[in-house]
Amino acid sequence: MAVTTSPRTRLALAAGRLAAGASRVAGRGEGQIIGGTVALKIAPDALRELAGGRVQALVSATNGKTSTTRLLATAMSQNGPVASASTGANMPEGILWALTKAPADAPAVLEVDEAWLPTVLSATSAKVVLLGNLSRDQLDRMSEVAMLARKWRRMLEENPDVIVVANADDPIVAFAAEKAKNVVWVAAGQSWTTDSSVCPECGTLLSRDEKTWNCSGCGRTRPWASWALEWNGTSGEAVSATGQRFDLANLQLPGKFNASNATMALAVCDELGLDLARAVELMTTVTAVSGRYAIVPAGELTVRLLLAKNPAGWTELLDIMPPAPAPVIVMINANNADGRDPSWLWDVPFERLRGRTVIASGNRRRDLAVRLLHAGVDAFVSEDPFAPGAELPAAARELDVIDCAATYTAFQAIRTANLGGEVDG
Amino acid sequence: MTKLVRIASIYPTLLGTYGDGGNVAALRHIAALHGIGVDVHEISPGMDVPRDADIYVLGGGEDTAQVAAANALRASGALKDAVSNGAAVLAICAGYQILGHTFPDASSEASPGLGLIDIYTDRLPTRAVGELLAESTQVAGELTGYENHGGATHLGSGVQPLARVSVGVGNGDGTEGAVSGRVIGTYLHGPALVRNPALAEKLLGWAIDEQLTPIEEAEVLALREERIRLARSSSAKTPR
Repeated sequence: MAVTTSPRTRLALAAGRLAAGASRVAGRGEGQIIGGTVALKIAPDALRELAGGRVQALVSATNGKTSTTRLLATAMSQNGPVASASTGANMPEGILWALTKAPADAPAVLEVDEAWLPTVLSATSAKVVLLGNLSRDQLDRMSEVAMLARKWRRMLEENPDVIVVANADDPIVAFAAEKAKNVVWVAAGQSWTTDSSVCPECGTLLSRDEKTWNCSGCGRTRPWASWALEWNGTSGEAVSATGQRFDLANLQLPGKFNASNATMALAVCDELGLDLARAVELMTTVTAVSGRYAIVPAGELTVRLLLAKNPAGWTELLDIMPPAPAPVIVMINANNADGRDPSWLWDVPFERLRGRTVIASGNRRRDLAVRLLHAGVDAFVSEDPFAPGAELPAAARELDVIDCAATYTAFQAIRTANLGGEVDG
Repeated sequence: MTKLVRIASIYPTLLGTYGDGGNVAALRHIAALHGIGVDVHEISPGMDVPRDADIYVLGGGEDTAQVAAANALRASGALKDAVSNGAAVLAICAGYQILGHTFPDASSEASPGLGLIDIYTDRLPTRAVGELLAESTQVAGELTGYENHGGATHLGSGVQPLARVSVGVGNGDGTEGAVSGRVIGTYLHGPALVRNPALAEKLLGWAIDEQLTPIEEAEVLALREERIRLARSSSAKTPR
């Protein structure tokens, strides 16, 4: 515990620890959120106090923030222990808890929920903030995309000293970061353009080509990027401002979107003065992130766990699944943490799964079954494909490992059953 | 039935935030069940809005995009011409609001709509978010969907409500949506035509001037049964 913490913060943390322990015993998951909530109620300044000038970077985005934070934290470990939430807890409560679990002087890298970013930045005075992407996500409870961008914009006006590492290819992120005093733009790519079809400032339809975007209404264009991801279809290279190239082919996290996450993380490492070659080497040791991409037993099957929370994330996952006719499991829940409205299923190009059987599960499996019906994809509806003796298509049993893509709460249920609360694959 | 039904999906990049693209997918799917051919045109801002489509579909959207869509459609005039020539319209949420005289913009100022039907929209005291269940006497029986809006929509004398709310908020006065001639506006997401195929059959029937006999699909019936049952039981627990 930091010697500088006030008695009130120490008391708050002790109370939080008790509550977290009780939550774990009661089987309500990891306990850290509830512990943090209790602690913050008792000492609202606990976050500011525990951050104490050691927060190197905050990472926020609609998609990829947990993976990017992990890549960055792992790269930073070249200089010793790093404080970082290992489980994707990204609201103030979870962040508080992450800070208490590492040595008090360890530099910290924190994943932050998009809407909470202004609060956490002002409490922690982080050196760098990484802004990855913004797209539609749980519209029943999250702010609309343009509203979030305006919030970020105000935040950067109010915190002029922070170094911003921002994705120039996402026009909404670019709008949020364009007025910041210190920006490192990264051409990190954008696979999902639907939520940035119009200029967030003037509403004009943006023009796009493969590399850039611009607005004919107000003259806004894609900022010139100093870092870039160059992707050849199967693997990528991160190219620095000085033209240095870093091969990302050995990353174990799959897909273009993870190469993009790594490129942004590397740009942050550059700002923090780290050895970049060593940073890439360390990033390639990351195999799974809080259960994402982990291979675990589930019922009578062995599954590769994939997490997606919104159309942009789902679209990326469809691209890394094995080709048809390999069956896959898709689990759609609509609990609070997933968003209560699964209308977004109609924004995901499930047509790409044609030619195989999709095992449709989760508490909104009936919505998924109708979506697959319209997409011309064969659906096998199963309340619980992992129950003892569950009926399953034969082809699913024949696979050594079957992909299981799930929304947040469905994913967490399988993850905690297999990997426990805090263990990481 | 040989007539090809022309469907215009209006500005899906602006008005399609909540999976409402599924309504066009549903029209295509349900038309195929009935042996009706469709020809779908996706109209992006900057493109000419066709005057000769049979069904126009408008989805929901964010405030800035909603204003942009309303301005472009008003400038074009094509939708108004098509409606006076008998075309059918399905407009969801933000799309529904822009059919009227005014709707609130991002700063809650009244922004001009198309004046296509006699309605106007201002703000509900609190945002309406949740399952919406409504009984339609004139169009398609029991309607199920999900609403997520801050608009209170007021219907003028020549406009009928689409349905009467059983669970949820809808227009804000116990009614839900609006029907005027062959123009239907509604707050139902889900998407609306996926969860309510009868509504799609109504629109397709108008387009071919023939009443369609409903075709039921097991997957859709299972979904409707689940959503209607859960909406009822949740409202029994928490009256609103």
